[in-house]
Amino acid sequence: MEYLLKNGIVFDPKNNIDGEQMDIFIKDGKIVENVSSDAKVLDVSGKLVMPGGVDLHSHIAGPKLSIGRLYRPEDIRRGIKPASQEDISGFEAGFSLPTCPTIGYRYTKMGYTTVTEAAVPPLEAKHAHEEINSIPNLDIPTLTLFGNNWFMLKYVKENRLDDLTYFISKWLKLAKGYGIKIVNPCGSEAWGWGKNVDGLDDPEPHWNVTGREVITALTKVNERLGLPHSVHVHTNDLGHPGNYTTTLETFDCIKDIKKNKNVERNQTMHCTHVQFHSYKGTSWRDVSSGATELIDYINKHNHLTCDIGQITFDETTTMTADAPMEYDLFRLTGLKWANKDIEVETSSGLIPSIYSKHAPVSVLQWAVGLEFFMGVTDPWKIALTTDSPNGGPFIRYPKIISWLMSQEKLQDMLNNEVHNWAVNRTNLGTYDREYTWNEIATITRASPAKILGLNDRGHLGMGAKADVSVYDIDVENFDPTLKNNSAILENKLLNSKYTIKDGEILVKDAKIVKLVKSNHIWCKVNGLEKEEEILTNRIKPEFNKYYTIKYENYGVNEHYIKPETCVDIEYGGVICENN
Amino acid sequence: MVVLFVKTINLKMIKSSSIALEFDNVLPELLYDKSLEDVKNTIIFHGNKKEAVSDYFDVNITGKSDIPDDCEIIIDGDLSRVKRIGYCMSSGKIVANGDVDFHVGACMSGGTIIVNGNAESYAGREMTGGVLRIKGNVKEFCGSSYAGDWRGMSGGKIIVEGNAGKQLAEYMVGGEIIVKGNCDILAGVHMAGGLISIDGTINQWVGGQMKKGTIIVNGKLEEMLPTFTLQEIVHNPLICGKYYIGKYELYSGDNGVKGVGSLWLKK
Repeated sequence: MEYLLKNGIVFDPKNNIDGEQMDIFIKDGKIVENVSSDAKVLDVSGKLVMPGGVDLHSHIAGPKLSIGRLYRPEDIRRGIKPASQEDISGFEAGFSLPTCPTIGYRYTKMGYTTVTEAAVPPLEAKHAHEEINSIPNLDIPTLTLFGNNWFMLKYVKENRLDDLTYFISKWLKLAKGYGIKIVNPCGSEAWGWGKNVDGLDDPEPHWNVTGREVITALTKVNERLGLPHSVHVHTNDLGHPGNYTTTLETFDCIKDIKKNKNVERNQTMHCTHVQFHSYKGTSWRDVSSGATELIDYINKHNHLTCDIGQITFDETTTMTADAPMEYDLFRLTGLKWANKDIEVETSSGLIPSIYSKHAPVSVLQWAVGLEFFMGVTDPWKIALTTDSPNGGPFIRYPKIISWLMSQEKLQDMLNNEVHNWAVNRTNLGTYDREYTWNEIATITRASPAKILGLNDRGHLGMGAKADVSVYDIDVENFDPTLKNNSAILENKLLNSKYTIKDGEILVKDAKIVKLVKSNHIWCKVNGLEKEEEILTNRIKPEFNKYYTIKYENYGVNEHYIKPETCVDIEYGGVICENN
Repeated sequence: MVVLFVKTINLKMIKSSSIALEFDNVLPELLYDKSLEDVKNTIIFHGNKKEAVSDYFDVNITGKSDIPDDCEIIIDGDLSRVKRIGYCMSSGKIVANGDVDFHVGACMSGGTIIVNGNAESYAGREMTGGVLRIKGNVKEFCGSSYAGDWRGMSGGKIIVEGNAGKQLAEYMVGGEIIVKGNCDILAGVHMAGGLISIDGTINQWVGGQMKKGTIIVNGKLEEMLPTFTLQEIVHNPLICGKYYIGKYELYSGDNGVKGVGSLWLKK
């Protein structure tokens, strides 16, 4: 099928197209230079046209969501929308923990086409992939958790980097994962002893390995393998006042590691939801923002990128593999709390969280997130996320955009709506930046795609995947900087006019018109098969001793991941000499 | 205040059903300006089938109203399989003459419901306002929260003239519940606000894990939880704007969760 998107106002930061009126040609699921006269013409004159949205950190599939859904039936009762005749999509339910199909419907309606599931332990990967099969309309890479794996800890302790390389390569194949995720390195493992680690150099009680060793080893391995995405790090001490120094140390500890020469991304580390890692002070009484130092570091260095984890003032659910932090939250709020051990691999926890405009700590967190948006000068270094649903559900992205584009709205909130800690304890009031459409397109499309290493999306250049979103916004005449337009802007961004994925129209006039199966994106390293086999044979006795399942039943079989996009990597030996 | 109901919708049951009828569409705010024909065709669910009110009820309308507050719905007949009467209701009045099924007055935010009979479980769950008066008994979970939530009834008033079942006012955060009869176990557990007054006998585990709020037992309490501590003995105490005649012991708790709720016990 051929399409011609006529006269849209196009924002495509990667190809330096900043609001030009132009036509987009789509043929066979790709962006092309021209189409035949049979092409179907979609008149989008004056409307906002951007590449399909890319979310690089979200929690949308896996056992943690299932536990959450069982555990919070009251959340499922929010956001119920009955199925209707005119919309092909079915019944919707849930707010922070929507049902699987609802996740697909809502992301597609927002114009998103690629969403990363950010934390999948290999043991639960089958479950995660099965849930992805129930989510329609998205391309979903999954990041595999390695930061507390016993085998990894053993190799790091014994300094066997080669074995670790083969291990990661094999385990990505078993879990059908796309990249390496590290969550509270050593801390989640210490939770097995009821403890946490305090900072980067506090050793884990059993293996006696520190977070610094884990992060550097895994970063080296990541660059050796040349994975398209860098290590995806959730640093230690999440949500503790005074944690900004740990975050700075984490930023700094991998800066000498050379990037693999074959990859297009700039960074060697992606630091996720930095907002939760940027507090000064010693307790929640004297806490203040530490964002300034971190922003300064990010602006001066090119080896790292980050996403924000913005707070959106909602009653939401926090879920993470950082179980000791969830316990701290439970101690703080007293709300119902779930805890789960994933044997050998990690721990995890879940607790409802209420972010209120009148609660000083929530407001501080909200302001710290916005400080990052305002302070980081290069939008290619950040990505818009809420760490959905930890900071707020993903349907709040348009709301965040409306804050970023209107200084009037933001100042109004600071002065009239939120608790005074936002002004008194952060520097948010000192910024007067307003995002342009081009910068919005960068932080929601181009930059996340580049950080993830998915070069076929996030832009509208020739040969790119035909993922396009069109919003019913008259770019010339609509002024997003006005406070009164915020609600309109949010509504229009929530309900796209067209969402096109792989050259097929999925959403038309805010109604879903087509449902397709989600695509599993994973990464396969070729060239290490022999070494992997030797390693696997050596691991098996240990594996069968520690796990409650057999190795043969462990991996994700091919039939779980249809349809798939396999990113093939050729292993080229040690490309960076000092790694 | 005297409310003069100018529009009265009479529903008289002509055919009973062994499968529950869902009555959440039959509300004053949805029907106050509807004609007889429209009221007859109002959809009620019978199991998973959509059916009309007139399939089960004889409908009569007298008077006319411009606002929902002026509308009264009177339901007669065997209502023991009629669920969700007054569900999410916000104004007007519903009178049910007979025993009603689950969820009567659940999530209601205003108006009045009078049940001249007994009510099944979940009466007035998570209600935020209005008045629910039940002339007979209620079963479990009256005025409590739905599964999972930690915020139950938050406003309004429930008056039970008979006995109440288990877990009355679980997770209650506001409003008032008056039980004139006896009460089963676990009344006011996890309570975080509001007032419960029980005139009859109550078994045990009253106010377990309560954080805030007030429970008054005017009758007899069989067994007090050990996590409550006696504060003082008061004659004719003034509690929430009302004098209670007699000698009352004031306990505070539940100390197990560092609660500061008060439990008044008549001696």
